[in-house]
Amino acid sequence: MKAYRFEIYPNTFNLSQTTTAEESLKVWFKEYMKVSFDKFWEVRYFLVESKNPIENFEIYASEVFTDSVMETLFGSMSDNQEEYHGWLKTRGFKNPYLIDIGFRPGVTDNSAHAALEALKLIPALSKIDMKVSSGSMFYVEGENLPQDRLEKMTYEKMANFLLHKVTVTAPTDLFFNSRLKNIVFPNVQITASKSEMIDLTVDDSVIAKMNQDNCWALSVDELTYIKSYYKNLGRNPSDVEMEVIAQSWSEHCKHKIFSSEITYSESNLPEGVKPIGDKKINGIFKSLIRGSTLKIKEERKLPWLISIFHDNAGIVRFDDKVDVCIKVETHNSPSALDPYGGALTGILGVNRDILGVGLGAKPIANTSVFCLAENKYFQENNFALPLLLKNPDRIKAGVHQGVQDGGNKSGIPTVNGAFVFDRDYVGKPLVFCGTIGVIPQTENNKSTAEKGQRPGDLIVMAGGRIGKDGIHGATFSSMELVDGVPSSVVQIGDPITQKRLGDFLIEARIKGLFNSVTDNGAGGLSSSIGEMAQLTNGADVDLEKALVKYPGLSPFELMVSESQERMTFSVAVDTIDAFLALAAKRNVEASVIGTFTDSGSLHVKYNNETVADLSLEFLHESLVPMKLNAHFDMETKSTHWIKRKIGKPLLPRKNYKKILMDLFRSPNIRSHEHLVRRYDHEVKGATLVKPFTGSADVGFSAPSDAGVIWMKPHGGSEDNAIAIACGICPKVSEYDTYLMAEYALDEAVRNAVCVGANPDEMVLVDNYCWPDPIESSRNPDAKLKLGQLVRASQALYDLSLSYGMPFVSGKDSMKNDFIGKTAEGDIVKISVPPTLLVTAMGRVPGLKTITTSEVKNEDSLVYLIGENLVNFTSAYELKELYADYDIGYPLPYIDGKKQMDLYRKFHTSMKAQLIESSHDVSDGGVLIALAEKMMGTNYGMELDFSSIAEKNLLGFMFNESAGRFVVSVSFKNQKQFEDNLQGHSFLKLGQTTKSGILEVTFKGEEILNVKGTECMGNYKIQAEGIV
Amino acid sequence: MTLQRSNIRALVLTGDGINCEEETALAFTEAGIKAEIIHISDLIENPSKLESAHVLALPGGFSFGDEIGSGQILALKLKYALGGELKKFVDNKKLVIGICNGFQALVRLGLLPKPNDPRSMTLTHNRQGHFINRWVDLDVPTSNCVWTKDLQAKKISLPIRHGEGKIVFKGNDENQKSMFKTLTSNGQIALNYSEDVNGSYERIAGVCDPSGRIFGLMPHPEAATSKWHSPSGKDKSSAVGIGAAIFESGIKYCEQNFN
Repeated sequence: MKAYRFEIYPNTFNLSQTTTAEESLKVWFKEYMKVSFDKFWEVRYFLVESKNPIENFEIYASEVFTDSVMETLFGSMSDNQEEYHGWLKTRGFKNPYLIDIGFRPGVTDNSAHAALEALKLIPALSKIDMKVSSGSMFYVEGENLPQDRLEKMTYEKMANFLLHKVTVTAPTDLFFNSRLKNIVFPNVQITASKSEMIDLTVDDSVIAKMNQDNCWALSVDELTYIKSYYKNLGRNPSDVEMEVIAQSWSEHCKHKIFSSEITYSESNLPEGVKPIGDKKINGIFKSLIRGSTLKIKEERKLPWLISIFHDNAGIVRFDDKVDVCIKVETHNSPSALDPYGGALTGILGVNRDILGVGLGAKPIANTSVFCLAENKYFQENNFALPLLLKNPDRIKAGVHQGVQDGGNKSGIPTVNGAFVFDRDYVGKPLVFCGTIGVIPQTENNKSTAEKGQRPGDLIVMAGGRIGKDGIHGATFSSMELVDGVPSSVVQIGDPITQKRLGDFLIEARIKGLFNSVTDNGAGGLSSSIGEMAQLTNGADVDLEKALVKYPGLSPFELMVSESQERMTFSVAVDTIDAFLALAAKRNVEASVIGTFTDSGSLHVKYNNETVADLSLEFLHESLVPMKLNAHFDMETKSTHWIKRKIGKPLLPRKNYKKILMDLFRSPNIRSHEHLVRRYDHEVKGATLVKPFTGSADVGFSAPSDAGVIWMKPHGGSEDNAIAIACGICPKVSEYDTYLMAEYALDEAVRNAVCVGANPDEMVLVDNYCWPDPIESSRNPDAKLKLGQLVRASQALYDLSLSYGMPFVSGKDSMKNDFIGKTAEGDIVKISVPPTLLVTAMGRVPGLKTITTSEVKNEDSLVYLIGENLVNFTSAYELKELYADYDIGYPLPYIDGKKQMDLYRKFHTSMKAQLIESSHDVSDGGVLIALAEKMMGTNYGMELDFSSIAEKNLLGFMFNESAGRFVVSVSFKNQKQFEDNLQGHSFLKLGQTTKSGILEVTFKGEEILNVKGTECMGNYKIQAEGIV
Repeated sequence: MTLQRSNIRALVLTGDGINCEEETALAFTEAGIKAEIIHISDLIENPSKLESAHVLALPGGFSFGDEIGSGQILALKLKYALGGELKKFVDNKKLVIGICNGFQALVRLGLLPKPNDPRSMTLTHNRQGHFINRWVDLDVPTSNCVWTKDLQAKKISLPIRHGEGKIVFKGNDENQKSMFKTLTSNGQIALNYSEDVNGSYERIAGVCDPSGRIFGLMPHPEAATSKWHSPSGKDKSSAVGIGAAIFESGIKYCEQNFN
């Protein structure tokens, strides 16, 4: 074997240039680790291994790896191996340390994949067997560098211990150039173990230990059931069978909590908290989520509801030419382990859900919602995080980069989303990734919504190859995050492989080359084949035929590995040749790994030996629902992991400007434009309402309410669009999850209605992320959390029914807790607040209906539509900010029927183009919403709040509730607009001006005078100057 | 010489991570010409397709995931698999447009700023060090560019969506100045940012070859073909967007110069 190392340096003309990335790393280390680097230089490198030496390799490598205008190649083949010392000198280094970050064997290395493909393009290299690995090195120098900490520091920022290997070379050793002489290529060295039978005739304590050691995450009841099932069969299960069962029955795949029978009771509700009554619920999903949808479908006779709940995504007909589908997923546990890889595979994974719906839809837009903590909070309050937790700012940077790369590299615009902050997300970040897709209504004389596999069809795995990555991912995400997690659970995405796979899939679908498809997500082949086999009632699999990244994988690993970028196809025998030929031409690897049958079992062989023979009925239909108890008692006090009282300032009563500016700077209101603009939100040329809006003379930095996607560029009608919006409000969970769920649902709907969507043509997607609601010694308040889950679900049921809006898809993630230790050795458990994301997708009937949030003209009337809320104390953001503001009862619940009537009437005005600008009132209340409307323009507002009683002014300005808009309407449309709102509350607040100032008077006295630029400056406090 | 619009053919490349083929093809077909989206592998298999085409478009995207360098591997693939055919296409005075990643590939392929010359220019990481999506104001200078003919001396606004759009010339300051001077006097500077948005040399946003027929630009005209695309609510309407004028200019050239 011959190994080469190629390092890429700037050429003479660019040697002294430092990059922004290097500067920001320096800043990071200074800020977070109190370490100052004087010099910091990043150099990328590649390792190549080949069987024999390659002639003239340096010339070819130089062409492939460098840009001749700016760069030069240096490495193990260079004549003068001391040359880089001169460059270091030019760069100002005297005694640098060298930090080398390489990949551990078997980790997905996208640069290396691309580099290998590039090398193969050179005719002289096309036939040579090579392996490539990539890496980064950092020359660093500084006074008093803590040399013993350099490795650890690198793992804390630039590298992840689970993925990378960090080597530090001291200045004195750099002289030996050992990296150029002794090149260690990261080869995978593993050997496969044979499939074995698992002895279940042993003592339960032994089984319990196996359950733990193998990460099966099966419950005691399940283990007992499996044991008796196999006893009846008269044999033991194989390891492959146990793995398939474990992943099929994991909470992640089976949604056992949402299927369970729950006995719910409630007590000690204060006046003003809605009772829902003691009840038995026969599966939250079945009776509440799908329950409301089926009822709506029956009542409204919705012909546009094409496919709901049973496929990878819901499909609806919101266009005359194409159908639209939507799916939202979470990827929380993987993002906690590796924020970048977790979020990247999250977005690529939900894209595959769309590719795998019906006969394969094309992704056209992504959404991204993060729930995160901020380091600043812990730093300012002098609070040390538990051991092993990543710095929340690093998590934020990582998940953001992951969604950025996932969307941008796939050519899918990220059109809508949110950043939500709460200290309790420090243990587990929540990463919601959504995708919208289009699919022709019919193709090749078939409905594209129906999967059409038949017994006798071949099972084809296409896209990525199988490796150790992601083994036990499904079971892992159903467990709490604890120390000592095996590195195989981490996955990195490969956008280019998936892009090719997706392009190929659509082309093959158009050509009619396959009968059915589904994605390989959690559980890998076990899950994808297991699901598809249900449709024909059986499958025979030859595992050894699956393409692998490296040899040495055991049969069970092949079956449950979650290696990314794979789809499983059902291909008829007579189209298989054409299918495989097209795949080869499109650079998509595919392997025929078996046949769908109607035998009733999942029969898996490895080199002709049976390693699993599982009854599908047993696997998918036989599990008895769990029985759980839920109790909602508002006196139950859950202990919070932060025991200390955190100091807050006092509310500056009557200083409305100060309050407004404080709000604008607060985490859940301020702008994240600097991050959002790194997402491509316009690729595909169909994004009509973008994440930010404003007027051309001021720029586009004011927040939009929803994303609007034009259907024409996607094969849809010329004058039709789809609005995508989200609603999420975990800060309300503390008071009542019923209200929280109402807020989430209503906010999503209202945001969509705000940009012009028709509330009568709108569908919903629910995503729950809950703390563990299953009782155990570590989880004493489980009944309360389950009670909160029931209340939230009941709210979704009640409100979706009142709105007549069906859910078409959804997902739940139920174990969002972190258990770890403090530096003092105390056990600490951090649970996320009960969190629900609702995504709304609605039809915008005609592009002229599209309305954005910013004020369009002077002398227009400004209205608040909806209640003035003066009888409530519901300013949740004031509670977050100030010590002396408290939330009181009653809570502002929604009157669903009335609210929906308002939305219909509002939409009538939108359609008639009576409303110039519309914006929802959410976090921060009315005043924030008004300021947001004007600050993206040079217009101002003159408003008079005299109709509000003086004692109610604070509540009027800052109370939060569902159901409200602020709009501007021209004088000429006033009458028609007001007539359209008959039967509903609305308040004329004043009118727009050309002053650029928000002026509010009360009984002739000015109570607020603030410039739009000042509002914008505070809103963009973290986003300013970076874009 | 005149060629009927409906007989003008554009090939729009796709595959290997190109993302903007559909909206680019749509921009051409909306202007009344025939546009065919063709996978690179299919073009390599059937390069004669280039003979019957008048325009070759390299759309935006993330070819090969932007690994190693944006457009780098796509350029290598085109060079080794289609180098001769592309040279012939250009020698036959046909039109080429590279948008964003397509521009980066044209530069690394050596078709810009001047075919057959040694590499002298590149597009590298924005001074901000990251990807940016925003609408920017642009000045369209007088130049040889046939793709901006209808827009010259105007101010326009288009979206940018790139991480590597900063133009750098080879060599020291003197070399760079002289390169810029040459391009300017040859009428090759075809598009400028009105203000510095990414650190690009002298705010260059688009460059053409000396003939003006090969054009590379970082902004995305295909995402601004309708006023509905406008980032401001007030500007939205069913009128044609400014981006369409770039495709229109190229097509007019074809009408007048081919038969």
